[in-house]
Amino acid sequence: MATEKIQDVRRMTHWPGHMETDYIYTLGIAGERFFKEIKENGKIPGAKCKRCGQIFVPPRLYCEKCFDKLTDWVNVGTKGKVYTFTIAYIDIKGARLKEPTIYALIKFDGTVGGLVHKLGEVDICDLRVGLPVEAVFKPQPERTANINDIKYFKPVK
Amino acid sequence: MFGKKRVAVIGAGMTLFRRTLKETGKELAWEASKMALDQAGLELKDIDSVVMGTAPDAFDGVHMKGEYLADGSGAYRKPYSRVFVGGGTGVFAVDAGWWHIASGQFDTCLVVGEEKMSSCYPHPAYAFTTIFDPIYARPLGVTLIWIFALEMHRYMHVHGIKKEDIALVSVKNKRNALDHPCAQLGANITVEDVLNSEMLCYPVQRLDISPTSDGAAALVLASEDVAKKVTDNPVWIDGVGWCIDSTFWTNRDLYYPRYVQCAAQMAYKMAGIKNPPKEIDVAEVYDPFDYKELHHMEGLMLARKGQAPRLTAEGVTQRDGDLPINPSGGLLGVGNPIAAAGIMKCCEIFWQLRGEAGKRQVKGDPRTGLAQAWGDLMQYGSVVIMRS
Repeated sequence: MATEKIQDVRRMTHWPGHMETDYIYTLGIAGERFFKEIKENGKIPGAKCKRCGQIFVPPRLYCEKCFDKLTDWVNVGTKGKVYTFTIAYIDIKGARLKEPTIYALIKFDGTVGGLVHKLGEVDICDLRVGLPVEAVFKPQPERTANINDIKYFKPVK
Repeated sequence: MFGKKRVAVIGAGMTLFRRTLKETGKELAWEASKMALDQAGLELKDIDSVVMGTAPDAFDGVHMKGEYLADGSGAYRKPYSRVFVGGGTGVFAVDAGWWHIASGQFDTCLVVGEEKMSSCYPHPAYAFTTIFDPIYARPLGVTLIWIFALEMHRYMHVHGIKKEDIALVSVKNKRNALDHPCAQLGANITVEDVLNSEMLCYPVQRLDISPTSDGAAALVLASEDVAKKVTDNPVWIDGVGWCIDSTFWTNRDLYYPRYVQCAAQMAYKMAGIKNPPKEIDVAEVYDPFDYKELHHMEGLMLARKGQAPRLTAEGVTQRDGDLPINPSGGLLGVGNPIAAAGIMKCCEIFWQLRGEAGKRQVKGDPRTGLAQAWGDLMQYGSVVIMRS
């Protein structure tokens, strides 16, 4: 096959196409309440299943195991621990970032799940699994009820 | 026997896997399908049903890709369905083909996998950005690689595994692929090459990852009655399994793929396998990243938790080792046109069990083989067990 070493599809006879469509996503029943709590009160809630006792963060409308509706909301605080982390050197289109970004999965004691978010105010040398971190919120007037109302998590001093 | 009829694989085919192929997706599907039919000695008219596996529509850039690919997959005026479970699609398509025949409804089923990722320009990685949760993940700028990096790091952390232990997988698979006539990235590389390659998202580097690819692969499945008429050496599908874990990947033990274990247990039970490392002679384990081969060997119970790197370092998983893993060269070496790559793995097990793998043939006389894929948002396992 003559085409086997061609890397760039534009070197072949082609027709350019476009498939972009725009979307508006609702936050959902549980999501709306979750982000309202972050926006208005700077708190991170979880939802507890009365049957199995697990507390889900972020909170959900239902327990995926018991399939019960979750009506019992609890405050899980703003401090958690780094469960795993990565240092991203590329953006979503594959281009090199000027400054690498640190992303972590942050777990909250006694809960299931956790939040994926950026880490800030941290020296790369201090990064480790298990590092205690706390949420840094945007000032209240700037919050718009989305995940970036939390600017990042920083190490607990 | 499970189901009403025993199911055999009687033919396999695949295209070249390349970064960019001139053929359209339909043409690729046709080429692989035709090759599989030729090996089976059948014509399209002998095919009762068709299962097509293909991953996100955004790669080929055609919404309703199943419909678009139907004619190339031999589905004209036939019972046809597309299955899609992300990266697990290729092996799951074979699982689905199995139940088409085991149910007693059909005597033959053509199973086809296709992906044309080069259509997504400038890079198909961008199509992955819309697979994530739109509320909790995408506003952070999530990319596929950093999600894997988080999992890889957790796996390394829990077991104290070093990058150089993991890099051995990439070295092995790319070298194995040198013997595969369809391979995209066969190469002789060293552990140092992997460790010196571009850092993308710590700990993931360029040579830890499989490429994006165009390609297709296909299998012909048949009931025992048909198989015995057309071939002297059918390969039997004796186990199938599939499972999904929590869709919230934050709710899973990232260090261990429980969903693969569940899928494997289903397939082992069906095949009567009690001791997988002793009873499996050769395995094609899903390896889009080098650490995933190790992770999945553990989930498949081919290695104990945290022990897959040691088996790799000892040479057990080499083509001439006691438990050859990815003798084809895997996704790291042959290439990774998502759904087609899973079917490529099933093709390899079929060829290995028939003694038709040429320079890739593993030693001894392998009688039992396993192919596995993994998909959706890192929580789907699909497994096929074949016996000659």
